[in-house]
This record gives sequence, structure tokens and C-alpha cells, in this order.
Amino acid sequence: MSLWQRWFGRYGAEARRRDLDDEIAAHLAMAAAERETSGADAATARHEAEREFGNAALVKDVARESRGWMGPERLLQDARYALRQMRRSPGFAVTVIGTLALGIGAATAMFTVVDHVMLRPLPYAQADRLVTLSEASQTGRPGFGVTYPDVRAWAEQSHAVEKAAFYNRLSPRDFLQNGDASVRVSGELVSANLFDVLGVHPQLGRGFDEDASGLATNGNPNVMVLSYGAWQTVFHGDTEIAGRAVKVNTDTYTVVGVMPQGFSFPFDAAAEAPQIWVLGQPGPKDMLRNSDTPNYEVIARLRQGIAESAAAAELNTLQKQVVQGYADAQSREDRAVVRLRNYADTVVDADLKRALLVLSAATGVLWLIACINVTHLLLARATTRRREIAMRGALGASRGRIVQQLAVEGLMLSGVAAVLGTAIGMAVIRLSRGAIPTHLKVDMSAHVNLTILSVLCALTLLSAVISSVWPALLAARAPIEPALKQGGRQSGAGRGMSRLRGLLVVAEIAMSLTLLAGCGLLLRTLYTLRHVPLGFRTDHILVADLSIPSWRFTGMNMTTSLYQPLLDQVQQMPGVQAAGLMTEVPLGNTFNVMLTLNGEGHGMDSAHNITAVFKSVSPSIQKVLGFRLLAGRFFDERDTPSSQPVFVVNRAFAERNAPDPKDPASIVGTNLWHFGKTPAQVIGVLDDERQSSIMKPSQPEIEASIRQLAPGVSFYSVLEGNAMDIALRTSLPPEQMIPQFREILRKASPEFAHVPITTMDRIVDDSYGSQRLAAHLLEVFGGSALLLCIAGLYGLLAYLVSQRTREMGVRLALGAPRSSVLLLMLREAGAMILTGVAVGTVFTLVSGRLIRSWLYGVTAHDFRTLAVASLLLAVSGLAAAWLPARRAASVDPVEALRAE
Amino acid sequence: MAPAPEPYRNRIELLQGTLDMLILQTLQWGPQHGYGISQAIRSQSGEVLQVETGSLYPALQRIERQGWISSEWGQTEQKQRAKFYQITETGRQQLARDRSRWETMVAAITGILQPVPES
Repeated sequence: MSLWQRWFGRYGAEARRRDLDDEIAAHLAMAAAERETSGADAATARHEAEREFGNAALVKDVARESRGWMGPERLLQDARYALRQMRRSPGFAVTVIGTLALGIGAATAMFTVVDHVMLRPLPYAQADRLVTLSEASQTGRPGFGVTYPDVRAWAEQSHAVEKAAFYNRLSPRDFLQNGDASVRVSGELVSANLFDVLGVHPQLGRGFDEDASGLATNGNPNVMVLSYGAWQTVFHGDTEIAGRAVKVNTDTYTVVGVMPQGFSFPFDAAAEAPQIWVLGQPGPKDMLRNSDTPNYEVIARLRQGIAESAAAAELNTLQKQVVQGYADAQSREDRAVVRLRNYADTVVDADLKRALLVLSAATGVLWLIACINVTHLLLARATTRRREIAMRGALGASRGRIVQQLAVEGLMLSGVAAVLGTAIGMAVIRLSRGAIPTHLKVDMSAHVNLTILSVLCALTLLSAVISSVWPALLAARAPIEPALKQGGRQSGAGRGMSRLRGLLVVAEIAMSLTLLAGCGLLLRTLYTLRHVPLGFRTDHILVADLSIPSWRFTGMNMTTSLYQPLLDQVQQMPGVQAAGLMTEVPLGNTFNVMLTLNGEGHGMDSAHNITAVFKSVSPSIQKVLGFRLLAGRFFDERDTPSSQPVFVVNRAFAERNAPDPKDPASIVGTNLWHFGKTPAQVIGVLDDERQSSIMKPSQPEIEASIRQLAPGVSFYSVLEGNAMDIALRTSLPPEQMIPQFREILRKASPEFAHVPITTMDRIVDDSYGSQRLAAHLLEVFGGSALLLCIAGLYGLLAYLVSQRTREMGVRLALGAPRSSVLLLMLREAGAMILTGVAVGTVFTLVSGRLIRSWLYGVTAHDFRTLAVASLLLAVSGLAAAWLPARRAASVDPVEALRAE
Repeated sequence: MAPAPEPYRNRIELLQGTLDMLILQTLQWGPQHGYGISQAIRSQSGEVLQVETGSLYPALQRIERQGWISSEWGQTEQKQRAKFYQITETGRQQLARDRSRWETMVAAITGILQPVPES
């Protein structure tokens, strides 16, 4: 027996009850014994003693109460009573629990996502003090980065900045090698004190040596720290890794540390992404302040208790002197202002943030509707139970006691609902995992954490308080006598109560309309987006996004040594109809080359600059993606390294640059820019295709044939050395092709073993971005709101009808036709629906601002969407009203009057 | 609801507030169980004061919670197991306070009922 049990056994409510029973039994025994000694027989003595004692049960009750023992016992009693109530009217219990569970479930799901994306703590010590520092011009034009002397000045002279570190991308494509394995990692060149600024230290090894400034001007050269992910995937967690020489691309570094699990920098939502950090030491070029000085990004830790605004103000004062160190006026202008941003704010995508904000608001509304609905149901029930409550009052129950009992009922209902709601929320998250666009980088693998649970608990408690105590208070405040006197169901609920209830229904309808209209707008947006002509085919296409280990091909022609053989092999695969290469497939959003062509060089009369997306393609890509040719021809076998250099442009480019702006085709045959030494000719115009987003119109684009690119051509390394997408069209289901495809890629170069392979359909789907996520979730929310609304309206009207059976009976007895009774009820419902729709329209117009930037092809005030949503609500509302109204009209007058 | 007429009883109901004092006073002579306390009050009042069990037991619980008495299970002379109550030090102080208040009140009431004859 544990100590607790012993204590409980001795002092618990049960023990005290037994104590009192024993004491009273002893009293009776003694009284009887005394009577026996004075001559009475046993039975008479016992009987008399009992009579003298009085009502033993009552004595016990009063005695216990005077001791204040009743609290927990009563709570238990109330709980048992509540359970009985639930079992007696399961329909009511199911409705309440279901409604609340829906609201709580949606909130749980949404908050889990929000928590994951926005509230998740960064893996750094006191991350709220970490800020990024950058420079900008007075007009707000962002600079290219911060130079070493500037970082140093800030770190040394600013009071607000405790320490500052700089970092930079190591190279566009970094591959970490171990034996035959070569794994793509994200590499950063960082100052020695970076980990110190972040407040995280290697779990293995000692990290970088620091000097006094922390910016290491004399540390070991060529040292590197691995992320936990890189350590695990590339070195399989080798504990002897410290001190080993490891190759990244062509350079060799000594490993001096491994960071702990979960650490990433720059922050990556996929926490175990392989990353490496190479010690960056300021060189001779770093010491000067001129236009050639290398630029870095800067992360700094503010001193404890310093506000960001104060720090920014101090740094900007300091910056006035710092910029004087630059000799040229342009640099002084470009670096005039210091910008400070909380690091946590920079890691969340703005688009995603807005999506989550809107969706959280929608969940909040849904939750509110659920609560209103339940309040409503509990109110209605409190009214039908008025007689019961009055009776309890008459029998001596205090108001507090009655409120407590009703509150316990509410708490139990919402407790069950909370458990159920959590389960629903988890299921929603699990099911919607596929709906989260991959480029939003929402990691949905984690489970509900404690924050979520406490938020949930708060929500539950709040909803319980809102929805049960309030009706309970109203019910308990009701005077006892009239309720008892009028008795029965016919006791009018009072004008105030029914008006309140009407208001609740109106509010519900209004909020549901807002959700439905928002959902409608997004669905129309999605529909419009799906019907935007993309300018290419998307079906039956697999795309592999290759990161090119260009260091392997130094001194070689990548076209002939890598791309052409690879393409040939892929084309040989059974089931492949065509395969092609393209720097980046449309909507791929993986790699983007923008070129600004200087007007002077390109051989055309106009002296204006041309900015265009620049891509290299293989001639066969046309067969895979099916671009539409407007004029001229696409690349073919005639275009070889030795033939005339040629370009293909898109319509957007042609419209801006054709000699005859009215006729894009007139650009064909013109010379456009020099390709090496020879001027290149435009041979064809493609119709526009969507490039980076379905919502954005096409930008001018120039394409060059991969066959004509050779190491001698100026943009060869940009176009071939970084990224390349390989796409294939197949007659088989694309997923079936992946293993074989991957095998061919792996043989071509070990770096390709783990490249992402996806379908073109998926790429397009992903590019709908947050709209799709939002639309799907709003579908669920809007649908739930509609359901709740219908349930609420039905419940209210059914209740009103049951309250007014007698009135209907009288009307019918006095000769009112049944149709007029039906109309009377429907009119009441209609009035509520109309008011709700009117208020909801205002809500919708106001909330339209929130989602305006998401809409495409439809305005936030779209009349048709609003009309359809209103109609949907009105029709389902009237349908919900129809049943109770018909019941009212079919009342038998004789029965109704007799029921009194 | 009008109360039903009660049969005449030759015993006086206790004045409110005096029961606690009487219980404490009874316990002055030593530990006693509930039945004993009610018997003692009855006999010492010359069979006039009758303590209803419905008042006695709640009063005992109340006083115990105040800390004026403590309880313990024991055996009577007739080998009957019973709960014995015992007055505590704070109980004694309380009794003294109750007593002086009571005496003041009795003096006051007596003063009213027996006006000093004018002389």
C-alpha cells in the first residue's frame, strides 16, 4: 500500500463517511443498551432509541456538510449525473460533442501547422536576440552584403551588438565526398565565431579556433565543421571523424567538429539536411573598403535587454562614420543605412506566413461557430430543463450548486469533445500531408507538442466556460416560482432569451457566409489557374533536377562528355518516347539565370538593355514538353558547334524586341547579340509559357541549344555548370520509370544518385502554392461551417416549434389554414437567414482584403461567388427549417390543447 | 407551505449559538462521546434541555474543524466502541469567551425582565 493510499484510506472521503456511520451506530447502541438496563426488551429498546435519534440519514448529511466534506463528493455526484443525462439523450450529447470536436479538431490541426512553421523555436540559444544585419541605400535599395571591415566596426564599436559573425555561400554546388560517395550539401563559408554567436557548440570535436575578435584572422586554414545530418549520411556517424581530411568538390578540409542533432544554419526546416561550415578567414582583399571588397551576410547577437529598435538606431548613427571609410561615393550611398531584422522573422516564407494567418483566422471563426452552436444547444436545453432546475431550487439546492452541476455537464461534454477533436486534428494533418506544396518546406512529420496540447486545453476550457456556464447562470437566475407554476414545456422562454438565440443564429449564418465566400473565391482562383494555358504539356513527364558537379568536368566539354551520352541512354530506356534537357523546366523554381544584355553589343539598332531569362535546351525538349512554335523553327541537328550560332526566343521577348512590334514573327532572322565572336541569329519564336509562377505572366526568355555550347562560349559555365533538368516523356505510368531512371543517372555521375525526381504534374501542382493548401482547408472549414449552421438553425426552430405547440394548436383551432402556420414558421427562419446573409456580406467584403493578393482571375468582391454562397446558405437553411415548420403545421389542435 | 402544528413538548429547544458552549462545557470534565454529551446536557439541565442529534453531530463536526476539540476512538465501560471527544487548549479559551459573553447577556436580559423598582 502506497503512502498516498494509506493517507487516502485514513483521511479520504470514504473513510470519513465510515467514521460517521460508526459513530452514529455507537450512539444508537448505547442508547438502546441504556434502555435495556432500565428494563425494556431488546427490540423495543432499539426501536425507541432510533425514534429518539430521528432521521439518521439526514443527520449524517448535515453533519458531513458542516464539515465541508461535500466538495469532491458532489463533483463526483455531478459527473455521474451528467453521464446519466448523456445516456438519456444521446442525440444531444452526440451533437454537442461532434460540434465541439469539429471546432477543436480544426483548431488543433491548424495550430500544429502554425506551431511548426512560425512558433517553432530555432535551434539556437536565446534565438530572440539573434538578428541579421545588412546594408541598404537611403532609398531602401538593398545592398550586396556587408564587408569585413564594417562587421568588425559594428562588433567592436556598437554597444547593442554583443558579437557578430559573417557567412557566405561556399559555392553554388557543393558535394561532400567520402570514398565513392558524393553527396550534395549546402556549404557555408563562416567566420570562426559563428557557433559562438548562435550559442551552440559542436557535440564532437572542438570547432573553430577563435582569435580575440572572434573573426579569426590567424586560425587554421582549411578546416570544416559537419552537420549531424552530413555526418550521419556521408560518414555513417564515424566517431573518429575529427582530424580527418575530407574533400568538398576539389578542395580538402580537415574536419574539426560535428554539430548536434537538430542544428542547422542558415535555418532549414528539414533539420537533418546535410550542411557543412568551412572556416572563412579574412584575406588581404577583405581589409580594404572599396567596390572589390568581398561581401558577406551578417548575423549578430544583441546584448541582453536591448530592444531591436534601439540597436538599429545606434548602428545607424555608427554607420554615418563607417561609410566615410569608403573612397567612392557609390559605395557610400549603397551602404548608408543598416537594416536589422530578427533572425526568426527571416526564416519563414512571407507567402506561407500569410496563408497560415488567414487559415488560422478561418479556424478561429469555425471554432467560434462551433461554440455558438453548442451554447445555443445548451441554452435550449437549459430552458427545457427549467422545471427540473426550479424543482431542485425548491428542494433547497443553492444557485451555486445548480451552476456547478450544469458546468460539470458542460465540462464533461467538452472534455470528450477535446479528446475526439485532437484525434480529428491529427487525422487531418496526416491526410493533408500530401496537400502541402513541397516548396513551402512545411515539415509535417512531427506530432502535436506540449504547446499545442496546452493551447487545446485552454480552448476546451474556454469553450466549456462559454457554452455551459453562461446558460447555467441564466437558468439558475430564473425565478423558481413561475417555472413551477407554469410547468411543462409550454412555459415561454421569455422574449429576451429567444431574441438572444435568434442573434446567435444570425451570427452563425454571417460567419459561415464569410467562410463559404472565402472558400468560393479561392476555388474559383484555383479553377482559373488550372485553366491558364501553361504553354507546355504536363502529362506523362518525369523530371530529374540535376545538381551539376562541374569540378569533375573541368577542362572537358560537358555537352559531349556528360549531357549527350546521358540523354542518349535515357532515350534508350524502354517506354521512353522522348527525352530532353533544359536548364530549368518551366515552374521548376530550382535555378534561374537572368541575363541583362547590353544594347550596344547585340547588333540591333535600339540601344536599350534587354533583360531576359536565359536557358539552354536540347533540341529534343520540344518533343517532351511540347512548346508551341509561333514562327520559324526550333533547334535541330543542323545546329552544331561549328554552324551559325542561333537562339530561340519566346513571344514576350519578341514583342519587346522585334523590329516590327506588331508582328513578333519579324524577329526571326535578326541578329541578336554575339555568341562568342560570331553574332547569333534568332531562328524561332515560341509561344509564352509560364516560367516561375502560374499567376505571373511570362517574362522575356532566350534559349540556346546545348549542342552549340562549348567551353569557349562566355555563358557556357553559367548555363551548363550549375543545374540541368532532364525530362522524359513516357507511355507508361511515370512512377514506374523512376528506379531505372535513377540507375542511369547514378551511373552517369555518383552525385546524381539522390537527385529529386518528380512528375511534371506534381511540379505544376506545387506551383499553385499556398492557394491550393488554403482552398482545400477552406473547403473543409466552409463545409463544416455550413453543416454547423444547418444544425444550429434546425435545432433552434425545432425547439421553437416544440415551445409553441400550444399556440399553433390555438391558431389551427381558430381556423388558420395549415399553410399559413407553415409560412409563419418559415418566415421566422427566413428573417434570420436574410439578416445573417446581410451581415455576412459585410463581413465578407471586409475580410476580402485578407485574401486579395491570393486571388487570380476573380476580385475579392466577386458578386457571383457571394451570390452562390448566399444561395447555398439560404437554401440549406430553409431546408433545415422545413422539417420543424411542417411539424408545427401538422399539430393536431385537440392534442395540443389537451397536452396542457 | 404552512408548518404543521407540533405537539407540545416539555423540553426547551436550545438557543442558537449556545450548543457549542454547552458541548465545550460538558467536555471540561473529561473526554466524552456524542451520546454521553447529549445525556450529560439533559441530566445536568434537570431534564429540561434536549439536544437533537440533528444538531449535535453537525455541531461536533463544526467544532472539531475549528480545532476546539479533538477526537479519538475508544471504549466505554460497557465495552462499546465509541468516538471520544476531548477539549483542546483553544477550546478552553473559546469556552471562556463564550461564557463571559453569555453572562453579560444573561445579566442584560435579567435586567430587562426585572426592572429595578423605583424608590
